[in-house]
Amino acid sequence: MSSLMTPPSDPPPVETQYLASPPTEDRGKATVPRPGSKMDIMATAQNRKATKPLETVPAGEQAIIRSERFSLYYGAKAGVKNITMDILPHMVTAIIGPSGCGKSTFLRSINRMNDLIPHVRAEGRLAVDGQDVYDKRTNLVNLRQQVGMVFQKPNPFPKSIFDNIAYGPRLQGVRNKGQLQHVVEQSLKAAAIWDEVKDDLKKSALALSGGQQQRLCIARALATRPRVLLMDEPCSALDPIATGRIEDLMEQLKTTYTIVIVTHNMQQAARVSERTAFFYMGELIEYDRTAKIFRNPGKKETEDYVTGRFG
Amino acid sequence: MNLRTRGALDRVFTVLAGLSVVLLTLVLIGVLGPMVYRGSGAVLFGGTVEFRKMQRDLFKRGGSEALDAEIAQTEEARREVYSLIDTFRKGIDIEAISDAARRINRDFGEELRFKGVATERYTELRQRSRDIRDQLEAAFASQDINEIRTDLESVLQSADDPAFKGTGAEGYFKLAKDFLNAAEQVDLSKHHEYKASLQEVEGILFGSTERPGLLGPRPGGPLPPLAMLHYGATRWDQARQLLHQFKYRQFWVEAEPNAPLVRREEPRAALFAGTSLEPLFGYIQANAEKMLHPRFTVYWQYFLDDNVDSHYFGGVGPEIIGTLLITVLGMAFVVPLGVIAAAYLVECTADNWVMRIIRMSINTLAGVPSIVFGLFGLAFFILFLFPRLGFEPKPCILGASMTLAVLTLPVMIRASEEAIRMVPQSFKEGSLALGASKFRTFVTVTFPAALPGILTGMILSLSRIAGETAPILFTGAVWIGPMAKSVFEPTRTLSRGSYGIAVEDRLAMMVPHNQYGMVVTLILLILVLNAMAIVLRSRVFKKLKGQ
Amino acid sequence: MDRDVTVALEPAAEASPRPLALTPGEDLLGFVGAYLGRALLLVVTCTSVLVVFLILVFVVLRSVPFLGGYDLTKFLASQDWRPTADDPSFGALTLIVGSIYVSVAALVFAVPVGILAAVFLSEIVSWKVRNVVKPVVEILAAIPSVAYGFFAILVLAPWLQEHFGFTTGTNALNAALILAVMALPTIISVGEDSISALGRELREASYSLGATRLETVVKVVIPAAHSGLIAAVVLGMMRAIGETMVVWMASGNATQIPHPWWDLSQSIRTMTATIAGEMGEAPDIGGVSHRSALFAVGVILLLMTVVLNVISEYFLSRAKKAAGKT
Repeated sequence: MSSLMTPPSDPPPVETQYLASPPTEDRGKATVPRPGSKMDIMATAQNRKATKPLETVPAGEQAIIRSERFSLYYGAKAGVKNITMDILPHMVTAIIGPSGCGKSTFLRSINRMNDLIPHVRAEGRLAVDGQDVYDKRTNLVNLRQQVGMVFQKPNPFPKSIFDNIAYGPRLQGVRNKGQLQHVVEQSLKAAAIWDEVKDDLKKSALALSGGQQQRLCIARALATRPRVLLMDEPCSALDPIATGRIEDLMEQLKTTYTIVIVTHNMQQAARVSERTAFFYMGELIEYDRTAKIFRNPGKKETEDYVTGRFG
Repeated sequence: MNLRTRGALDRVFTVLAGLSVVLLTLVLIGVLGPMVYRGSGAVLFGGTVEFRKMQRDLFKRGGSEALDAEIAQTEEARREVYSLIDTFRKGIDIEAISDAARRINRDFGEELRFKGVATERYTELRQRSRDIRDQLEAAFASQDINEIRTDLESVLQSADDPAFKGTGAEGYFKLAKDFLNAAEQVDLSKHHEYKASLQEVEGILFGSTERPGLLGPRPGGPLPPLAMLHYGATRWDQARQLLHQFKYRQFWVEAEPNAPLVRREEPRAALFAGTSLEPLFGYIQANAEKMLHPRFTVYWQYFLDDNVDSHYFGGVGPEIIGTLLITVLGMAFVVPLGVIAAAYLVECTADNWVMRIIRMSINTLAGVPSIVFGLFGLAFFILFLFPRLGFEPKPCILGASMTLAVLTLPVMIRASEEAIRMVPQSFKEGSLALGASKFRTFVTVTFPAALPGILTGMILSLSRIAGETAPILFTGAVWIGPMAKSVFEPTRTLSRGSYGIAVEDRLAMMVPHNQYGMVVTLILLILVLNAMAIVLRSRVFKKLKGQ
Repeated sequence: MDRDVTVALEPAAEASPRPLALTPGEDLLGFVGAYLGRALLLVVTCTSVLVVFLILVFVVLRSVPFLGGYDLTKFLASQDWRPTADDPSFGALTLIVGSIYVSVAALVFAVPVGILAAVFLSEIVSWKVRNVVKPVVEILAAIPSVAYGFFAILVLAPWLQEHFGFTTGTNALNAALILAVMALPTIISVGEDSISALGRELREASYSLGATRLETVVKVVIPAAHSGLIAAVVLGMMRAIGETMVVWMASGNATQIPHPWWDLSQSIRTMTATIAGEMGEAPDIGGVSHRSALFAVGVILLLMTVVLNVISEYFLSRAKKAAGKT
């Protein structure tokens, strides 16, 4: 039933969009932005979803996350190798690639969630706001408060909805009941789930449906007021309707937050993101405006992957 | 090998494997069945009026007018027994009646002197009294009924003599009459046999110095020193055994030369055939219930009461308290240690030599025999540590619980580790991603989620150490002794008690229900704890999988 | 509709009040807390190491006066255990042999049944039946040893005496039977784990070649799981050799080595039972004394279990590797 219905938020088919969008001029140029290289052309290019053209900015200053020759090893095995890319603020950056390509590993490196795995070793530089996150002095608590994360499977704590959302603010030392109430309400509203749960905030979060749980997790991440939101295949466990809602939500959130999303669903990447990076075998193959990646990829592997001719 | 043999072999194998499991089940039933059946007798049984008397006297429980009335009724029913035995005794207990005759003679002399009769008269009456006494004694000693008749008739001729009327000497004639009556009925040549048999009968009915009888000591007589001998059969099953012993005499005979002796039984009534005691056997069989008033009793206070006379009466209350004290105190030591160690092992994983040594130590600790823990507890806690802390170096609750804590440490660590590992990684990630520190994540997310699992492990450890005996033999458990007033005193425990009551206690062997009751209480305690753990665990599984 | 809900949350602060980088100096409390806390946790975790160390030290320390002052060969090779005689003699050979004898006898009963049951549970029956049988094994494991001992001396011993015509019911057979029952849960659960850990591919390969279940079990499953099964047997042995209450109550405690060796109806005595039975009466005096001799027996016991533990660890780790490969 539900799969037959068109989700209310479903955008028009991808092909139509790409045909409608104006051709880009930077075809054939180096697709992976190197540090110091000019990002003007890419940044000024009209994106299908951007309502206003992005300002032209020098990449080095504006990039909120900047990766330079970053590699991460599990013991002797490399999870990602030599990644160099800049992620710009207030947009959705999608990372695509076949499974095992290192896209999740890279995402989880940004807020150092990979630390949970034993024998992890990082090389190169991965900076958030100019601060190398693998630097010894980096305070993990502060880092993770600024770089929120939403996981593949919704993972609400086995607590009430209210306590789930209030978890982050409480960590930051907010004890005032009214203040917490306010943050919880704002976050749930921002995650577009307030109307569904406002009457029963004491209910266990585990009693919600999968889609609601995922939006709750987004609300929970928003409640710590991060600047960056990392999403690790946030819709892979959800049905199409729930997926549509989350995608709408991302559309709204990107005005305030920087979103990096890992997805195995190319349509999703095409629908929601402004920039897309293609990872393969732990390496960054191509990184460019989404429209370009899907319409006119610069690399053979990318083309094979987005056209579905892969492996 | 052809296909058919292969198939047959396969089937044989399947059946054999199935049988092994059937065997396991049978073993479980075979071990638990008899013990639980006999142990339940400690709580569920037919309690007689003697049981209620005992409860009133020893445990200050249930004394009431109804009980007094009941006692009066049973006493009424028992009176016939007493009188039958007394009558019979007069005929056969020669020494007793000879003594009685001599005493009458002496008392009569005193009486005369007190009355102040004239010297001549005094001498004459004294002489006659002595003659009667001699005649009586001759009659009592004789085994010829004709001789007895002659002697006694000559004694009884003096019965109407006014000189004896109203004096103590009248006792002579009562003795003579009773004896004549008795002598007419019994085979006098069996005097000694009768006497021995009567003593046996009295032992069974009224108790001996070693064991209580069916009805308890006769009212009014001196009470024996042990409380257990103050009462008759308190339980109907006991009473039935005694009734059987009363009805049948048991003896061992050599059926064949060089073969083990065989037990034979013969009706005891036959011994007393034709005597005045014969009706006793029929009377007791017919009126046993009237004399004892058996009634189905649920003695739940068994789990609260202290015991009396080395578990002859009473329950296992102090043992239960002691067991709980030692185990709970032990858990208080081991739970924080175990949970912290488990948390460290799970959350701070690093495959280095420190971890390897810790893991190896935990495995080694799990394999150390429990008696060696006992040795360690004695050598380290009691003889080494206690004097240095200013405690008296003697076995005590504290020492026992510390020893048990050490013993159960690996169990606790492993259980908590498993529980903490079962918490989905996503919970931890969710918390860490929100900027919680590792410590914060553990305290606010992982630990609450793992708590039911940790509790399960805790209960399992508790049930494990509740049954341990060897480690506390020298560190704090005793078999008999007063209730502990502080943790620096030793205590009785169910486990130590189960050993003692099986091996060291001769009194308890007379009451198997109390022997089995102790061990069944221990098993029940442990099975209940295990059942709690199983229920808790399945609920945890459902909760963690349900989402 | 979601679209109508405006994003009401205030925008995240552009410049975070919390700097990403903090030097140890700036975050002194956090830094010290983290390191001290970690160190503290490590110390607590090391309690088990400390305890193992203390057990070794204290049991050995108490036996040193004996081991130093008594002829070691006499201790290990003499059968003469007369600790309370005027001229005491401490020959522990009987006790060592007794411990091993009764444990091996127990394994002879327990291993076939245990392995068959493990195979039955992991290879033959459905999950449902397993869930019914598992509690039986768990209850068998939960019954405390003193209860088994109680059963041995008050139920089994009279029964054996009556039905088999033994001179005494408390003998090696009685103890071995009960120890077998106690070792069974260990053997079954470890054995079952190691069999279940094998991949399905092995079995499927065997069945697809037309082997019957028996052939699959005997030729494929058991050889593949042999490390785990050996570990199960060794762990069962450890349980039997370290058991105190049952052997104390059921074995008859006669200081003798059975002769002929297969005669289980004779009473024997083990190391554990000797320690349990005599420690209470052994006064705490220095030098070569009854008490220090008992501690020395404890050292032998400890050594035996440590050796068995190392063996079981070795086989368990091999079983783990084997399971990892398939």
